[in-house]
Amino acid sequence: MIASKKIVLIGHFGVGKTSLIRRFVENTFSEDYKVTIGVHISKKTLELSEDQSVSFIIWDLEGQDDIKKTRVSYLLGTHAFIYVFDLSRPSTFENLKSEINYLHENYSKIPLKVVGNKVDLVNKEYLTQYNDEFDDLVDLFVSAKNGSRVESLFSKLAKELI
Amino acid sequence: MLEAYKKKYHQNNFQYILVDNFGAVLETDNNLFTVQPKSLLQDCHPFFEILTDLLQVNDETFEFSCINLEFNNKILIADIIIISQNKNENLIILEDLTKHYNNYQLTAQTRNESIINSQVLELKNEYLLEKETFKNNFIANFSHQLRNPITASIIFSDLLINSNLNADQKNYLDIIQSANKDLKTRIEDILDISKIESGKLSLNDKVFDFGKLLNDIITGYKILANNKGLEFNFNLQEGLPEYVKADQYRLKQIIANLLTNAINNTHTGSITLNVSLNYVRAKKANIHFEIMDTGIGIEASKIDTIFERFTKLDAAARNDKRIGLGLSIVKYLISEMQGNIKVESEINKGSKFTFNLSFKLSNHRESIKEELLKYQVPKLNKKYHILLVEDSELIQLTILKILAATGHFYINIISKGEELVSNIINKDVDLILLANTIQDFSAMDLAASVRNLSREYKKTPIIVLSTQAFKEDIKRFKQAKINDVVTKPFDETILLEKIYKHMK
Repeated sequence: MIASKKIVLIGHFGVGKTSLIRRFVENTFSEDYKVTIGVHISKKTLELSEDQSVSFIIWDLEGQDDIKKTRVSYLLGTHAFIYVFDLSRPSTFENLKSEINYLHENYSKIPLKVVGNKVDLVNKEYLTQYNDEFDDLVDLFVSAKNGSRVESLFSKLAKELI
Repeated sequence: MLEAYKKKYHQNNFQYILVDNFGAVLETDNNLFTVQPKSLLQDCHPFFEILTDLLQVNDETFEFSCINLEFNNKILIADIIIISQNKNENLIILEDLTKHYNNYQLTAQTRNESIINSQVLELKNEYLLEKETFKNNFIANFSHQLRNPITASIIFSDLLINSNLNADQKNYLDIIQSANKDLKTRIEDILDISKIESGKLSLNDKVFDFGKLLNDIITGYKILANNKGLEFNFNLQEGLPEYVKADQYRLKQIIANLLTNAINNTHTGSITLNVSLNYVRAKKANIHFEIMDTGIGIEASKIDTIFERFTKLDAAARNDKRIGLGLSIVKYLISEMQGNIKVESEINKGSKFTFNLSFKLSNHRESIKEELLKYQVPKLNKKYHILLVEDSELIQLTILKILAATGHFYINIISKGEELVSNIINKDVDLILLANTIQDFSAMDLAASVRNLSREYKKTPIIVLSTQAFKEDIKRFKQAKINDVVTKPFDETILLEKIYKHMK
């Protein structure tokens, strides 16, 4: 049985949303940064078991420095959000709490994963420095570049959505 | 007519598609992409998967802008309108805006890249600044830690030289004194660099006897050069100003560092110091300085790097074990004095360092006289009581030796800050020597505890023995009504000079 689920990736520009999707869908990575405008939609089916698969329809939204600016139509029919920020650029997570609160308040029934990307660029000491800010808010630290925990992110989401 | 033009120039950027409630194509004009009747639109592109949900709602219009689509390797960026109706006939309108959105993409690319780059640069700067601050603090703290033992070493070897020593012992002590002097200079160089890098080094302009300064330098360096078998020439042009206002200590440091550098890099021949007057304008004298040697010289390609920290010219120069901060300090100080240093050099022939500096001319002979006379043992008609508050036994012993040797003072020593007040009240204390920090007390706290006592204690002079001598430290001491500061490492002369000044 295949369940089709719409996943929307949101977050500031340049945090690596497109790279995360490319890593998950094509298992590739490019250092080149190409700004996403509007939305790109891709699809990948993840097999959870012999008789259970999830077809992810992944909406890669143009980066916004304020989540409220996101076009509402893009969010219609969303089954889950992945909020992505760049661990190496504090400006992309300085308002993390309020952004997450906004999503909880306006889309309370939609599952959300908060993901710190580019974990390959920072060390443990650096992460400890932001412990208070990340505590309870962040689900995973991932790296689109080396693939660390990307598959795991989507697998967890798939299991929650089924 | 208009219709003809419209036909010629009008571009149909739209595609209209009719689908049933499941997304199966009923009819389309295939204007933008080809889709077969009866096929499911969801199979054309994952965007249309959304139809499954939206077409369940009747009589609604959904607008989507800037949707990136791809059909047969052709990119199409479109605005899409989906109109759901209740008669199993829903309309989808696509408007191709690829060109428009591609232009927008280029603008967004430039903007975002610029923002990200500036953020990354800011972070890098912050990181470098933190690293630099840590390094400077480390250097400053470490150097301060060295000051107590060096102070003791300098003072005790000075005391020892006047005792009964045989020739061998005197020779050994000469070596110790020379090493002390060297160590003191190097620590001061390191501290200067950390001050320069943290922006804390500032010039302290005062009127001084310019000729005397030059003669003192010449006397000292003539001996050093001669000891190495080098000739020392100097030429002080007639007409040089007698008194100028500048930072005497730093000017001496500039000339001394350049002469030291010249002597270190010269094995045979001579060292020359020329000082001449360029001009006098607006009560300022512009003076030309030249330091020449007949030494190893500098390769043209390395001239630009000699003012960098820790730069050594060659392996032989490395053997002198100096850490190569002198020229870096020289360049900074000259630039702070609004000058510019130039170097001419030829391998195995020698080097010439030149710079011009402008100094304010001064007629303040009186203030100079006062400065020159400041260290004179006053005629004391009684012995004075000095209270020393210091927890370093080494410094206690050092000061005790110095003061006892004069025969002018009674000394009471305490090691705990909390004992200060009880050692002042109803006791004869003419001056307090206070360590900068004693366990949990700062000199400022302790000074405040004295100044808060009754009126008779408000005027008791307090001199702080400090390892910290930045401008802001001096300012803080003044605010705490501390009368003076003796910076570690100090020697007998400096300490007594300050004490006698406040005994007058």
